[in-house]
Amino acid sequence: MELRDIISKSVPTKVKSDATVADALVAMTENKTDYVLVDRVDSNDAYGIVTRWDIVGKAIAEGEDITKTAAVAVARKPLVVTNNMDLDLRWVAKKMADEGVSKVAVFDREVFLGFVSDLDVIAATLRKHPKEGKEVSA
Amino acid sequence: MRVTKLILKDIVKTFELPTIDRSETAKKAAEMMLETHCNHLLVPRHTKHEAYGIVTKKDILAKVIAEGRDLREVKVEDIMSRPLVILTNLSLDIRWVAKAMANSNVSAIVVFDKGDFYGYVTESCIIDGVYNAMRRAKLEEGVDFVSC
Repeated sequence: MELRDIISKSVPTKVKSDATVADALVAMTENKTDYVLVDRVDSNDAYGIVTRWDIVGKAIAEGEDITKTAAVAVARKPLVVTNNMDLDLRWVAKKMADEGVSKVAVFDREVFLGFVSDLDVIAATLRKHPKEGKEVSA
Repeated sequence: MRVTKLILKDIVKTFELPTIDRSETAKKAAEMMLETHCNHLLVPRHTKHEAYGIVTKKDILAKVIAEGRDLREVKVEDIMSRPLVILTNLSLDIRWVAKAMANSNVSAIVVFDKGDFYGYVTESCIIDGVYNAMRRAKLEEGVDFVSC
């Protein structure tokens, strides 16, 4: 099973580059997603990504006022990316584990295809071994 | 608007986590996670001298798939974490709940009230709690809640 097979072409939720943590939190909750992209200022800038973990661990845990702290301050920036569509899922999982992230951005040459999440990888690995009633109940 | 008004009791989830026996395979654990839409599974103890364990999607990803092991051969007991990270003070400010998660580097904390199991709290509980608090604060001001 390769990266090519599991990439979902969903459009990620974005917040402005000057958004606060509270904006990111609201955008995340209202769009029922667990991450938002922080837009870049210009074409030389990098995109950032904010996950629930970033908000909890870096803003709330440090006692920051989330309506004042900038989202980029807690964002992971630049993104963890991969551009090898033939990569085996094992190495996608390894990359996530090594970098300590749960979302990897996938590019095919210059074209952004979307994010692949840890749950996508687990679901795809399970599909490789279809359910066998006996083994599961044993 | 400060978020520090929230305490642990406001955000804790009081229903129980799905459980899985530690002799089951990692494959069964992954299936349960996808079926129940719950990223954490509790691993009950066999005797009262043992600790409860917990297995998360990160355990499956980092300790099984990333290492190239077979999901069907790895047992839950090889990848679970134990003992659990717990909190017992229900009136703890959520700032310190968040800090406890960050310090222990876990995504779920089990909450006990005077020795009895009370519930658990994850990072999404904190996010939902803060969102709802912000929404209430806006509504009290008479402003319709407008997202960004």
